[in-house]
Order: sequence, then structure tokens, then C-alpha cells
Amino acid sequence: MSLDSQDPRAAGSDEPTVELEFELNGSVEKQAVPTSTTVLDLLRNGFGKRGVRSSCERSVCGACTVLVDDLPVAACSTFAFDIDGTRVETVEGLAAHDGTLSAQQRAFRECGGFQCGFCTSGMLMLTTGLLRANPQPDREEIREWISSNTCRCTGYEMILESVERAAELAREREPDEESS
Amino acid sequence: MTDAATPVAIADQPIVGRNLPRLDATAKVTGRAVYTVDVEKPGMLHAKVLRSPHAHARILSIDASAARSMAGVTAVVTRDEIQGLNCYGTYVKDQPIVASDSVRYVGDVVAAVAAEDERTAFAALDLIRVSYELLPAVFDPQAALDPSAPLIFPEEPFAAFPDYGDGASGTALSGHNVSYEFRYQTGPENAWTECDYIFEDTFTFSRMNHMHLEPFATVAVATSEEIEVWTSTQSPFPMRQELAKIFGLAENRIRVNVPLLGGAFGAKNGPKTEPIAIRLSQLSGGRPVRYSMATEEVFLTLSQHDAVLTVKSGLKADGEFVARQSRVLLNGGAYADASPLVAEKAGYRMPGAYRWKRIDSVCQAVITNTVPAGAFRGFGATQATWASERQVDLIAERLGLDPLELRLKNVKNLGEDFVPGETPIDSDLKHGLNLVADAIGYRNRDRSGNRGMGVAIGLKDGGGVNKPAQARVKVTANGDVVLNCGLTEMGQGGHSALCQIVAEVLACDPQRVKYAPIDTDNTPFDQGTNASSGIAVMGQAVLQAAERVRNSVLDFAAENMDLDRESIRLVNWQIIDSDGKTHPLSPHIMHSFGGTGFEFTADGYFKVRGSLRAPLEAPCVFWEIGWAAAEVSVDPETGKVELLQLVVSGDAGKVVNKLGCRGQDEGAAVFGLAQALFEEMRYNDDGQLLNAEALLYRVPLAEDIPRRFSSITQEQGHGAGPFGAKGMGEGGMLPIAPAIAQAIADATGGQLTSLPMTPERVYNAVRVAQAHQRRG
Ligand code: FES
Ligand code: FES
Repeated sequence: MSLDSQDPRAAGSDEPTVELEFELNGSVEKQAVPTSTTVLDLLRNGFGKRGVRSSCERSVCGACTVLVDDLPVAACSTFAFDIDGTRVETVEGLAAHDGTLSAQQRAFRECGGFQCGFCTSGMLMLTTGLLRANPQPDREEIREWISSNTCRCTGYEMILESVERAAELAREREPDEESS
Repeated sequence: MTDAATPVAIADQPIVGRNLPRLDATAKVTGRAVYTVDVEKPGMLHAKVLRSPHAHARILSIDASAARSMAGVTAVVTRDEIQGLNCYGTYVKDQPIVASDSVRYVGDVVAAVAAEDERTAFAALDLIRVSYELLPAVFDPQAALDPSAPLIFPEEPFAAFPDYGDGASGTALSGHNVSYEFRYQTGPENAWTECDYIFEDTFTFSRMNHMHLEPFATVAVATSEEIEVWTSTQSPFPMRQELAKIFGLAENRIRVNVPLLGGAFGAKNGPKTEPIAIRLSQLSGGRPVRYSMATEEVFLTLSQHDAVLTVKSGLKADGEFVARQSRVLLNGGAYADASPLVAEKAGYRMPGAYRWKRIDSVCQAVITNTVPAGAFRGFGATQATWASERQVDLIAERLGLDPLELRLKNVKNLGEDFVPGETPIDSDLKHGLNLVADAIGYRNRDRSGNRGMGVAIGLKDGGGVNKPAQARVKVTANGDVVLNCGLTEMGQGGHSALCQIVAEVLACDPQRVKYAPIDTDNTPFDQGTNASSGIAVMGQAVLQAAERVRNSVLDFAAENMDLDRESIRLVNWQIIDSDGKTHPLSPHIMHSFGGTGFEFTADGYFKVRGSLRAPLEAPCVFWEIGWAAAEVSVDPETGKVELLQLVVSGDAGKVVNKLGCRGQDEGAAVFGLAQALFEEMRYNDDGQLLNAEALLYRVPLAEDIPRRFSSITQEQGHGAGPFGAKGMGEGGMLPIAPAIAQAIADATGGQLTSLPMTPERVYNAVRVAQAHQRRG
């Protein structure tokens, strides 16, 4: 995994830097980083968000998927300067502060939507983005949406079921909206 | 989790077999799971390697002086820095830490650098000057056998081979560019005279990359006296042993720690990033060195074996199978790695699921100038099953028989010998065939619109060869349990299943059982996590350890509480007596032992009995079976295949974790369907890999999965593991490609003999079939 070692805050003085202000899992962060820094470097090495995984670093596998203003983005292939002024969410922000798991997390846990777990952060962020765009996706839409990411272990069927279940659990949490 | 109330087991509900979430679920859905790539040590350096641009070349000189003097670089390893260190590999020790005399494939490692950060390491690599003298190269296993082909190892490497039993033999370095040859024969030679028909066919099998999402990674802290690594390996103890041999150190000077693995599929056996990280750390004054590959490097490190398989089968007029002869050539790539073992299995498994009077098989692992090939999900059985099952379908067509009926006629019965001296078949193979056939409606299929169906079966001996495993279970005074054993968790759910077994025996909530981190100093010995051995072999050791702990707790209770030993039970760390009265254990333990109380500890051990008659040193622990049925529709104008239905089934023997079993079979099936239809490492004529990176290498996505895709987990109950369990995870891959191939033949008449079944190949096969029809 290339450049995994770069702590963007410890960058050499000869590299041009850029000032960033963005929201990370709900808290406002300010940071000066070299212009070449990727969002993956920034989150993993600058902010210790090790739940953001890195695999292909070619925008193919989706293991590094985070949400930027509600949309899934490959963190390995996005420059840090692109997230200036945005709202960034990682897997670390899904559970409540007291540790209560979100609907997506509970669904993946319950339906076994993971095996080695390396794709799981990305899959959970994809699911979060999908359910925000459409709280009641049908299987075709889920399949299409999930096809941006690779899972080498599960055979996908249990991931598809996990996403369906996540939608169900999210709706259960809002019974008023459900009945209206 | 820490201040949560103590979880308790639900009375009278078995833990084994329940649809429980896995114990690693919370860590994985919160992103807190720790893999080797997440390991960080203070002062950690970073390694990068220089790889050969040539498929075969002699190294004339290496000048690394500029790299060595670069600021931020702490060490450079070239052939000069590995003097006196040994080569590695299974049976055949032919792979050096970095190339010494010559490079043998595009991507072979020539030099390595450790630096303060990865950018500096990359920059230093650019300063290393290597001059090569190009040598002729060979990429095809058939061509490599020719005495006029370049000899890839002019000096014979160190080699050894095992003591086989009846009918089997192995020879290392048996021929020109052959690293290992396995032979197996049984039954009377004259069986061929009984045959009314004899057919010979040749099949080719393509090569996949494992593409586990977590790359190979190691963090090493090493001096010339002591080595510690955190590494992504499936086999901590074999790794320790191999490192001891490479570096000439006692095994107790080496400590291997294994965090969670982000997938492995066989790739994470044997040294990968370890020796380089270790050597660089030794040369950097013992500072920690991290070597984590990029995905592109993973492609250049290990792959599956492509193969050419020639199968000759003889049978009687009524379709009864009589004799089979096979010759398999595996493309082992530039270094032997696990090729000898894969050759053994690809040769041994050629009989498939069927009854033959005579078997005569030979399999050679051939050295070529391609990426080394080694262990890969299915381990030789995928290659063998492709040819074996495909030929059954070709024979059925020639004799005008239904392929399913031909299988049912010849498939072995439950309890029948696979070959003499071997464990009898421990699944009802016919039952499984009928199950998947019925699940897709094979017998009433509608073949209109270029649709067709196929059914196939694959089997492999599971549980490893002659494999021992040990485990330790400890229970604290308060009933909290620690399970200590060397099964690595690479996604298969092994840790969770083993904790469930412990919880079942101790009648406690599985959440109370912790799987201890693996390190070779403290973890009981194990031969490695492979061959689907987790549940069947390690599971037995764990079961025994848990039972022994329970017994010592019950002994303690009987003595200290004055209860009748025979009539008490342990539930939720309480003793239940014959009257149903409960007696909490903790107060008694504290009273007896004082202070912080006591830990009850016991070890478990399992190894299948050896047998001189067993062809492969010992009878296998269990048979891992995969059944599949597929329906396709084929566009004869374009050769495009649409997979309409796929049903896969495995026999868990007894389910320990339902979600785990299902995931293993479905995951394996998707590997199979990818190999069947599109996934393949492609080389050009110069031996350059054309698609050795994620952008160009196509792995299956959710949209590639058929709309109707399901798995049936059978629990036939004959397994040798705890409660009758068997291993899972490889069997599901075996029958997929042949089932799809037969479905294509059923739909169009086109018979495919090569993988993957690309539109071009399908189109050509359909054309050939149409030409035959017109002539006929
Ligand atoms: S690591 Fe970013 S897409 Fe693969
Ligand atoms: S769970 Fe391993 S890659 Fe998805």
C-alpha cells in the first residue's frame, strides 16, 4: 500500500500546502496539508481513521469509500483539497457515541454481510449513501449501487440481503414516518 | 462491552448450529478490526522493492551505492546482503529473498530499500542500477518440458519429498524444468481390456489471482539474534519454521504475531513480505520495518496454477466407468512455492466422485518464467474437477446419455472407498446431486430459447495431510473464557465457530469466550489454516480442551461442594445438581484458592491416525464436496452467456454457524463463476502480464451474480469434526465451471474445453457444434 506512511501533517516544508476546513463525522476540522495529499492519507494517517481501508488505490475496489456530502467517494482517488468545505463521514461515525450500532451496522452484523471485513467499511458507507438517496431501494437498485465496490469473500448475496435489512431497520426506527 | 451485564446462555438452546452473528461482527462493522496493514510501531521504517522488468535474465551487476547514501535511507538489500541465507519453498527450496544469480519472471524481486517514508524508499529504488544479460524465456508448461527449452534452474535446488503410501510416489526435479512429479496408480492394469469405449480429451485451465483485498504485509523488528514479525500469514508455525531456516536461527528466537487477515484464499501461506522486512530491519539497527505491497505487487507475487489436463477414460457399453488415466501439467511459475503439494492433490483427485477399477494418474509441476503459482482455493481440485467433470459430459454426449444419469450411475456411495487405504466417502453424493438438480428444475427443464442446464460435482480430501492441531482453553475464577489456538481468521469465521464450540461445551454465552491473539510464543502449535481444516481438525482439539476444562471444573465442584460428580452439570458458571439446585462457582473458587482465585486450564490435541496404506501419508479427515447446478441462456450470434440460475451446495456435516457456512459456499461459488466466465490473468507472448492490476483485472461484482443464486447447506452428519462437522469453503468452487459448461452445451451443443468461457470461445464452440449437426 503505497504512501500509507505519509502523515500529511508532517509534510516537508518544500511542498506547497493547502488549508482545509471540513466536517469529519460531525466535528469541524482545520488542517494544512500538502496539495498532493489524498483523502485516504488524510483520514488514515492524519486523523487515525483506520476503519477507512485501502486496497487497490485505483478507484476500483471501493474499500476506501467514504461519504462526502452524502455521496460515496473513493478516498484513495480524491485529493484532500477537494473536500474543503464539505461534510465527510467515515465508518467511525456510524455508531452513536454510546456505541449503539446504526441500522446499517446492525443489519450487516445480523445478516452476515461480511467475512474478512476488509470491504465492510466501504460497503457500509455505500449503504448509508444509498439509503439517504432512497430509503426504500429495490434489489435491482441495491445491486447496481453495490456493484461499485468489490467484495472477494461473500459472494454478494448476503451483502444484498444486509442492505435490504438495513433499509427495513432504518424504517422501523421511524415508525411515524412509516405509518404516515 | 466492558460494563455490559454478563451475558448468559439461553437455557436449553444449543449454541452450535444457531444463526448467531459472528463474534467478530461488531469489530468489523465499526471499522475497529485490526489487520496487519494497520500495525504501527514507533520509529517504523518503510520498505519498497525493485522488481525485474525481464522474464529471464542473468544479473551481471547491481550498483546500489547512490541509493545507500540517500538521506532517509537506512538499508538496501541486494544479493550481497543475503549471503549465507537460505532459499525457501515447500519441498523444493528454490526461492531466494532477492534474486541472486538471475531473475526468473517479470516482477522477480532484485533489491529492497528501507527508508523513513515510502516516498524516499521509492526514490531510492530509482537510483539502483542493475545490468542484465537477457536469457531466453519459456512461459508455457508444455514448451518448458522440451529439452531444448531454457533451463530455469541450471543448478538443482535443495529438494525433499514425503513418504507416500500404497500406489503413490513423488519425485522432485524429475525432468527438464519439472519441480515435482506426483504419480498414483491403483487397480489392475488389464481393466482397460474390459472397456467397450475409450475416450481421450484434453482440457486447459486458466490462471486466477487471489486478489484478497488486504495485500501482503509485514512489520518486522529484527536483529541477527532475534526476530519478531506481525504479518498476514495463514500459517504462523510453518512461517516460524521457514524463517528459522532462512535466517539460520533457533525457532524460539523467532516470534510470529498474526492479526486479522483481509482475505487469503491460499495466498498467505509461505513467505511473502516477511524475509525482506526482516532483513531490512536487521540492517537498520533493529528498527521496525513495514513492508506492505501494493495490489500490483500482489499480482506479481503469487497466483493459481494454469494447467493442461489430458484425461483418458474407459467404460462399458452401458455407461459403467472402468478405468481412467490422466496426465496433468501445472504451470508452477518461476519458483516452486507450494506447487509440489498442488501437484500431489491435482493428481490424486483425478478419479473425481466416481467408481473406477483402475486409476493411473501423473501430475507434473512445471517451472516457467511466469509469476509463481501456489496454494489457491480448491488446491489442485479445481483443475482436476474441470477436466474430470467436463469429460463426463463429453462422454455422455457421445453415448447419447443424460449427463446427470451417467453421474448417478457411477458416483460413489456413502461409505465406499475413494481409493484403497483412504477414508471412505462421508457424504451421500447422489442425494446432493439430486438436490441441486431438483432445485433448478433440471429434469423438467425448458430448453427453448437457447437455454440449458448442467449439473456437476467436485470433491477434495479435506483437513490437511497428517495434520496435528493443539488448543488451550482457560477459564477465570469468574467464568470468563480465553481460547488459545493458532487458527487464523481470514474471513471464514473460524474464530467465531471455535468460540461457539467452547461455549457449547461450557454452556455459556459465546460472547464470554475470547479468541486470544495469535503469537507463536504463546499459542499452542498448529500446522496452519488451510485445507478447510479449521472446524474438523482444530475444532476437535478445541472441543477436547473445552471438555477437559469442564471436567476439571466439575471435579473441583464435586469435591468442594460435596456433590455427586456424576449427576452435576455446568451451566453459566454455576453448578446444577441432580435436584436442579444451582451453586455459583466463583465464591467456592475464591474460598479454595484465595487471592485472585484460580484459572482452570486444559489443552486439547487432535491428529488423524496415520496409516502406511494411505496413499498420502494419512487418510484424509473428511471429504469436502461441492455440488452445483446452473442454467444459462446463450446468444449463439455473439457467444454471450447469461447465467440465469446457480445453485451450490456443500455438506457441513453439522452446522456450527449457519451464516458462516452459507457465506463460505456462496463466496466459493462466485470464485468459480468468475473463473468459468471471465476472470483470468492474461500474458502476452513476452511473458508480460497484461492485466496485473485492479483496473484491468476483472473480479466479480454484485451485478455479475445471477438473479437466482442460492446455496443449500446440507447437514448429512458424517463429518469427523466436533458434532459431526466438516470443513467448508473450497468445495463450493469446484463444480461451478463444469456445471456452467454443461449448461452451455445443453443449450447450444457447443462443448467447451478451455477456461474462461469467453464469448469468443463460446461462439466458436457453437459454430463447431452446428457444423457437426449439418454434417450429421
Ligand atoms: S482503495 Fe480506493 S477504490 Fe480501492
Ligand atoms: S468480506 Fe472480505 S472482501 Fe468483503
